[in-house]
Amino acid sequence: MISITNLQASIEGKSILNGINLDIKPGEVHAIMGPNGAGKSTLSSVLAGRSDYEITGGKVEFLGKDLLELSPEDRAREGLFLAFQYPVEIPGVSSTNFLKTAINEKRKYHGLEPMEATDFLKFMRSKMEEMEMDKSLTSRSLNEGFSGGEKKRNEVFQMAMLEPKLCIMDETDSGLDIDALRLVSAGVNKLRNKERSFLVITHYQRLLDYIVPDYVHVLYKGRIVKSGDASLAKELEVKGYDWIKQEVEAAV
Amino acid sequence: MIFTEQIKADFNLYMAQAADDDFTRLRQHAYSVFEQLGIPSIQLEEWKYSNLRPIQQGQFTTSCVSKLDADSLINAGILNKIVANKLVFVNGCLFPELSIWLETDERIKVCSLATARKEHTALFDTHFGKYIDFSNDGLLALNTALMSDGAFVYVPEGISLQYPLMITNITDATEHNLFQQPRNLIVVEKNASASIIENYLAVGSYPSFTNVVNEIFVAENASLEHYKVQRAAGETYQTNFTQIHQLANTKINQVTLTLDGNWVRNNLHFFMNGQHCNSLLYGLYIPDGNQFVDNHSRVDHAMPNCYSDEKYKGVLKDHATAVFNGKIVVHEDAQKTNAYQRNQNILLSNTATINTKPQLEIFADDVKCTHGATIGQLDEEPMFYLRSRGISEQEARRLLLNAFADDIAEKIKIPELVSILESEIERKL
Repeated sequence: MISITNLQASIEGKSILNGINLDIKPGEVHAIMGPNGAGKSTLSSVLAGRSDYEITGGKVEFLGKDLLELSPEDRAREGLFLAFQYPVEIPGVSSTNFLKTAINEKRKYHGLEPMEATDFLKFMRSKMEEMEMDKSLTSRSLNEGFSGGEKKRNEVFQMAMLEPKLCIMDETDSGLDIDALRLVSAGVNKLRNKERSFLVITHYQRLLDYIVPDYVHVLYKGRIVKSGDASLAKELEVKGYDWIKQEVEAAV
Repeated sequence: MIFTEQIKADFNLYMAQAADDDFTRLRQHAYSVFEQLGIPSIQLEEWKYSNLRPIQQGQFTTSCVSKLDADSLINAGILNKIVANKLVFVNGCLFPELSIWLETDERIKVCSLATARKEHTALFDTHFGKYIDFSNDGLLALNTALMSDGAFVYVPEGISLQYPLMITNITDATEHNLFQQPRNLIVVEKNASASIIENYLAVGSYPSFTNVVNEIFVAENASLEHYKVQRAAGETYQTNFTQIHQLANTKINQVTLTLDGNWVRNNLHFFMNGQHCNSLLYGLYIPDGNQFVDNHSRVDHAMPNCYSDEKYKGVLKDHATAVFNGKIVVHEDAQKTNAYQRNQNILLSNTATINTKPQLEIFADDVKCTHGATIGQLDEEPMFYLRSRGISEQEARRLLLNAFADDIAEKIKIPELVSILESEIERKL
């Protein structure tokens, strides 16, 4: 699915990612954990194509294409989806119009005719039912006045609509209470299948109780310093990050 | 100046055949004021960005003769999709073939101003010239001295217009330069209501100068929707002065959309002369090319307990220039005033210019007032969010600009008009 090799990135001359190596195969769920400032959000931003970062080395292959050469919109059209940590409120742009535009731009990119309005509405209704979305959310302006939980659920709903191949979830659990966290996770789990991969970025283990990963990686100082299965997350929950930091410092 | 000499000749011509009455004497007085003040120059603080010098070099015809027939006027876009009462003026004169009257209540008086002076003389004399003050304003004086025709609207006590009234002014400059001075007088009596659209269009490529004055009186407990749609494309210059005088418990929603026109200067003045007035002022301007758009507004809170909310938005492209100058004056007696004012601008090119000046003058001590202006480009975050969903940069920009502009268009409460204007806005963006 995606193959990240020795990826290095900096912002305003400050190096944040110092050689990330990561392979994700179809259907796998990988979690990236790490202390604050380790570079977690930078990794998701760089993969989605945010222009604030300078790529200083390495490469990323996504479904056989050089991801770093693609514009943010082309990455999305190829099947990459970033669920934002802070989804943006866009007054005046209706959720429906936004989704229709996004879907049709993707279809156009793949040489397909735009979806008929009635087909689109039917499709959206079925996805809303599947994801148990409240109608009022899609009739409003995009994310405008949504609570934190509603915004995150809307991210997952967009994911269901756009049917991406790789979903990057950037600190989806931040700012969610336990009920909202359950709802959001349930939505994500519905979207898991043999082809679709996930990269779940989180500071806390609790999200991984609901979205159980196949692999867990620990990011520290811009590198993946430890990898394991879901039990690594449990270990981190009990022991914190300090022992990993010490291990890394001792190795240097 | 060629222009002022021509005006002098026109005025002498008018005087030679004028009756000896109060109306003539008013116009004579107005002309003498104009002779003193002249056309405003950029040396005046309120006109420092708005240069009318170009029109003063030219000679203009004031005749309203037009060879346009009804069909070509409809093609010029008189918003014929809207079901409304219509008064159509071409080069300042009423064009009866295209005027439509749908109301059944005969107590409503709607006609040309010239007809009103003859047939509704008492009403005319009660209201005409009573709400504007031309002693300090050369253009108001000039309009009063040498006005063309215009609309007279009288909605009597307790009556609501069933349909909107659209007053369309078409500039026909296909054969020569044109100078016209439309003058509208609108009176909405107690407990009455009306929805009025001022609609400006132009055809032809000769230069034209249109000097509009609107006098609007809204009596106690009445409400008014007032929309100004400016689409007079071509070599047009327009000065448009609107004075709204409102009494207690009145509700007014005013929206100004400036889309086309080479040079436009609007003055919108509200005078709140009663308690519990509620006035909304919204505006949108989308100048491109070398267009110039100036919106000056003034809201006088003269009495306590009134509310006003003003929001003007602009999207500027190419070499366009815009001016916003909004003044809220809270008089000494106007305690418990709530007054808000915002001006937001998006500049889409390095060569577009905006001059914005929000102003508050407060003489009362128990009021709530805010004002502010922003100038910028489209925000990065929403752009990236949309692009990260597969929407192209161009399409994302279109969505965001339309959302910015539709916020104002949606203040118009006539759905057919809103949908026409939204596609017009899309064309400009």
